[in-house]
Amino acid sequence: MISLRGVSLIYPNGVRALDNVSLEIAKGDFVFLVGHSGTGKSSLLRLLYRETVPTSGEITVDGIRVDRLRRGRIPALRRHLGVVFQDFKLLSDKTVWENVAFAMQVTGAHTKDILRQVPRALDLVGLAHKSRMYPGELSGGEAQRTAIARALVNNPKLLLCDEPTGNLDPSNTTEIMELLLRINLKGTTVVVATHNQAVVDRMRRRVVRLEDGKIVTDEERGYYYLGLGQGQVLSG
Amino acid sequence: MDWGRVKFFLGEVLRNFTRNAGMQATAIGTVAITIVLLGAFLFVRSTLAGLGNELLNQIEFSVYFKSDATSAQEASARAALTADPRVASVDFVSKKDGLAELRANTQGVIDTSLLTENPLPDKLRVRAKDADQVAAIAASARKIDGVDNVVYQQDVIVKLLQLGSVLRRVGIGVIVVFLLVAGIIISNTIRLTVFARRREISIMQLVGATGLYIRAPFICEGFLDGVLGGTIAVVVLTAARLTLWPKLLVALPWLPLNAAAINLPLLVLQLIVVGGAIGAVASWISVGRHLRT
Repeated sequence: MISLRGVSLIYPNGVRALDNVSLEIAKGDFVFLVGHSGTGKSSLLRLLYRETVPTSGEITVDGIRVDRLRRGRIPALRRHLGVVFQDFKLLSDKTVWENVAFAMQVTGAHTKDILRQVPRALDLVGLAHKSRMYPGELSGGEAQRTAIARALVNNPKLLLCDEPTGNLDPSNTTEIMELLLRINLKGTTVVVATHNQAVVDRMRRRVVRLEDGKIVTDEERGYYYLGLGQGQVLSG
Repeated sequence: MDWGRVKFFLGEVLRNFTRNAGMQATAIGTVAITIVLLGAFLFVRSTLAGLGNELLNQIEFSVYFKSDATSAQEASARAALTADPRVASVDFVSKKDGLAELRANTQGVIDTSLLTENPLPDKLRVRAKDADQVAAIAASARKIDGVDNVVYQQDVIVKLLQLGSVLRRVGIGVIVVFLLVAGIIISNTIRLTVFARRREISIMQLVGATGLYIRAPFICEGFLDGVLGGTIAVVVLTAARLTLWPKLLVALPWLPLNAAAINLPLLVLQLIVVGGAIGAVASWISVGRHLRT
């Protein structure tokens, strides 16, 4: 599903966000990207949805060479993946239903498809009963679930989450992670960038650890901290 | 036809439009002023052109006698002109007849009863066989004894044409400047709405809306600004024409002004289209700048 080969990203100000990163993520995987702030987790995600282009290296997402993608083809790529952020990015003057529908409306979807898929997405995240509420009336967890519903409404094969629980308390965090897991079980590939140690340690999924723009560990069923030094460096 | 999509789109345009009412009004006003100037300019130009054509084709001119010219001088002048092979006809118009004609032409607008004496001289009304020969006949008529002045419209035409070219240059300059100003104000207005909606735009980009789909509501907003400005301008111009045109006819009774020279519906359409075009182009540029950064 995702393949990075020798990817480096150097920002115009000279900061080296990613340094020769290679990574393979298979279809249906659930992967945590961990590491301190500023180690390149968000940069890596941004490369995958073509918000930035790498300075060098090859990136393939769902068979699309993202590093070579022409500007006009970006929308086609983005329709195949969903993105979720720490700050939800909901529109405050639209209801939950409208926020989710918005993602379909602006891609020119037919009304009958919208009427079919929006309730399905809201059901999946358990917010069907709050579809008429505005983001201001929601808890953080509900807001994030709305954002997830919006990311999923176009049935993407890949869900990218950048610190999805960064603004949430522990119980909401658990709720969101369980939701992501359920989405993964339905076949969607999920990549979560986080520095929430408790979540990573509890879920025991694949953990890719970044430090200073390099992948330092990559473990199946890993912990946030490399099993306190017992793991092995697979790539980077 | 998917009415849900149409409704969504129109809703977005309307929301944009009502968000910055003040800026929107400024933009519309600027467009209106620009279009009024443009309309006035086109109007003056076509009137002058019509006038020029009218006058160029005139073969009639007047030979005025000095106030102290004797009737013998007047008779010999008339005979000389009648004998000229280039002349088609010569009519004598006495002071008295001249005044009566003036009364008839101005239809009571100029109150001739206020005149204590008749200021008009005797004159000959000469018709040339060909418009090209008017200047030559006029030149020879000037040399005849007792003739004070020869007025033929070509003089007026030359001046009119000069005035016309000056007006054209100044007018085009002014209009270009105003078009630019209107464009800049519209693009600033659109930039404000773009800024107010930057979250929507970033989400649209994130979920894979195409550039055209993102731009469309803003382009429509700019277009609407332009069309509304153009419509206001057309209303102003129409009002001006209805109230000022009769006064103009009265103020310049000797000019053969011809209102029919202008195709009004076409002009109205052109002006509104120009307004819409400024708006659409300005917003296209404005949103494009935002999307690229």
